[in-house]
Amino acid sequence: MSKLLEGSRCLVTGGSRGLGRAISLAFARHGARVAFTYRRDTASADETARMLRDAGAPEPIVLQGTVTDSAHAKQAVDAVVSAWGAIDVLVNCAAVMQVLPISLLEEQDFDNVMAVNVKGVYLFSRAALRPMIRAKSGSILNIGNFSSERVIEAPVHYAASKSAVRGLTEALAREVGRYGIRVNLLAPGMLDTGLALGMPQHRMREYIDQCPMHRVGRADEIAELAAFLVSSESSFISGAKIAADGGL
Amino acid sequence: MTAHERLLNETTSLCRTCKQAIPARVVADARNEVWMHKRCEAHGPQSARLSTNAEWYERTRAIRPKSAPVTRETRPVDKGCPFDCGPCESHAQRIRMPVVTITSACDLDCPICYVHNKNDAPFHMSRDEFGRVLDSLVRESGGELDLINLTGGEPLLHPELLSLIEMAHARGIHRVSVCSNGVRLAKDEALVEKLAKLDARIALSFDTFDKHTDRAMQGAALVDLKHKVLSLLDRHGVDTTLIPVMSRGYNDHEIGQIIEMGLALSCVRHLEIHTITYTGQGGASFDRSARISMFEVLEAIEQTTKGLLRTSDFVPSPSAHSLCYQIAYLLTDDEGGAPLSFLRFMERDELYACLEDHLYLEPTARLEAALQDAIDRVWARGDDSESARALRMLDRLVRTLFPSEKPLDAKSSLRVGERAAKAVYVHSHMDEDTFDTERAYLCCDSNCYADGKTIPVCNYNVLYRDKEPRFVEAPRPWGPRSGGARSLPIVTDARRS
Repeated sequence: MSKLLEGSRCLVTGGSRGLGRAISLAFARHGARVAFTYRRDTASADETARMLRDAGAPEPIVLQGTVTDSAHAKQAVDAVVSAWGAIDVLVNCAAVMQVLPISLLEEQDFDNVMAVNVKGVYLFSRAALRPMIRAKSGSILNIGNFSSERVIEAPVHYAASKSAVRGLTEALAREVGRYGIRVNLLAPGMLDTGLALGMPQHRMREYIDQCPMHRVGRADEIAELAAFLVSSESSFISGAKIAADGGL
Repeated sequence: MTAHERLLNETTSLCRTCKQAIPARVVADARNEVWMHKRCEAHGPQSARLSTNAEWYERTRAIRPKSAPVTRETRPVDKGCPFDCGPCESHAQRIRMPVVTITSACDLDCPICYVHNKNDAPFHMSRDEFGRVLDSLVRESGGELDLINLTGGEPLLHPELLSLIEMAHARGIHRVSVCSNGVRLAKDEALVEKLAKLDARIALSFDTFDKHTDRAMQGAALVDLKHKVLSLLDRHGVDTTLIPVMSRGYNDHEIGQIIEMGLALSCVRHLEIHTITYTGQGGASFDRSARISMFEVLEAIEQTTKGLLRTSDFVPSPSAHSLCYQIAYLLTDDEGGAPLSFLRFMERDELYACLEDHLYLEPTARLEAALQDAIDRVWARGDDSESARALRMLDRLVRTLFPSEKPLDAKSSLRVGERAAKAVYVHSHMDEDTFDTERAYLCCDSNCYADGKTIPVCNYNVLYRDKEPRFVEAPRPWGPRSGGARSLPIVTDARRS
């Protein structure tokens, strides 16, 4: 396998579990140096760090905090730049999903999902852009979701947040393209890990029935696509939304 | 039939003496009671009261269960119902509650015992035989089975019980339930711990809080023992079903207290209340004046739960004859308030529909939609205190089932759901006196064998069990028998009574 990210300095938010972990590991396998953030689950973060070392990554940087905290975003980016001299890749993967009908959806629920899923992307992107603009290069990959566009029942605050991330991605790509910075959105379908695990089983079956490929996605195949999208192999792809959902 | 009686339907029943099938007439009398009248040529006229409320009986019987024909090979009708079980080609319902009798041994001799047991050279089903039973059931269910119930005798006396539980789980069965009188559990906490690790469910018989009643029904004073067992099951988080057998004048006044205990104990998932049935080594000679009908049990529940559960909170099971099961679901309040019947916030037809294809509620798309409809409706209704409380309880349930932090796997989700929503089932068994082939045709509980044969449990207890050498020292031979033809179709005016 050719290594797509040899020497790249990458930061993955929400990298301790699920898709974030799979992306971190894929980046390590492709020769990247990997830093990741997590919020609370230290055991999973330790396990991911161990797996990264086993995958051949130099000492990973593990950062605890919430993506809604601007100081944490700045400190995380500073830690990468300070350790490795620059930041080449940011993946905004941290997100929350909450199954709630509109009748139970309180203002606080709405604010919380929008804060993590949208404001977190804004804060980390903004923090990473300073060194990226200085370097006149960089790649930001936001993780979206099929629920923002496809006809499927999804909690409205979650769907709204993922639609917002799509808009943010397109606008930011236009704004920072002139510095050689690419911004893309990867929108996976339902996966065998992460947030999808909380869906009722029948929802999973419904997805599989509707999906032309009749299966859910694997985190590792999404992670490989992420590695490609942030690598120089996709140097002319920006402002794009790439769906990986089995043809839904 | 007298001039004051009104014919409700004709069916086939059994003679209480010779157990030959005989025609029967079901009538409503001037006191609004429902009686079954029949006459055996050899043993004369016989009558049994089926219900104390003819209107409820008629309304309930009119509900047609969902059609779910047997999908596997059936036996041709030869002698007529109920003598061709296997099932026969007339049987009209799939198995929803498979029962496997794994042992003939029992460490009690209850006066109400409705089966025959044998402790000398007891039968213990082999792993091989059990494996074949499981394979047959899983095949019939299309690969996914909600539930299996291991019974006996006392299943905990089976020397390889733990291995049998593992075998059932290995085939993906959602709930593996083991009936027990609790005697062994009380003495062996390590066993309780092992059952918890194996995710087994214990269906514990619990009839009374009164030592005298206990002695009359169970033949021993077991109240303290049962409390000890419940505390062990609770401590180790073993999912538990309480099984009280109701008998009029003995323990019917205690049913509310038993339900309240079950709702309060975190280990208890369901209560399955049986009406006493006069079959088996004990039951056949138990005090016949204790017979109690389904409606009387529902009334007793309403009277003794102080408004917590009303007769109107129950729906029949769509998977069985509507006179066999009545089901209520309650949402528990983890803030300490009284549980709330589903029918206080959900439409009756919705709950009934959610129970289609399953004996217990399963986390299906239909249930999700019904809950969402209920939530939206309660929310839209306004801010009265009852709606607000119902909404708070539903809100907590949804947030527990779908945490935004770390998702629950399917198993944990089922467990959380069952902790939050507890069920009260009333199950009315039949004996020779009350036997009605119309109900037998639609039975969804069957005793299951390794060769794929299945026998509806009432038919099994009344007619088949005492013919098996593995369960009785001197099996009774079959006499001449000639069963009923398919009885009149059930009326189709389906209203969810």
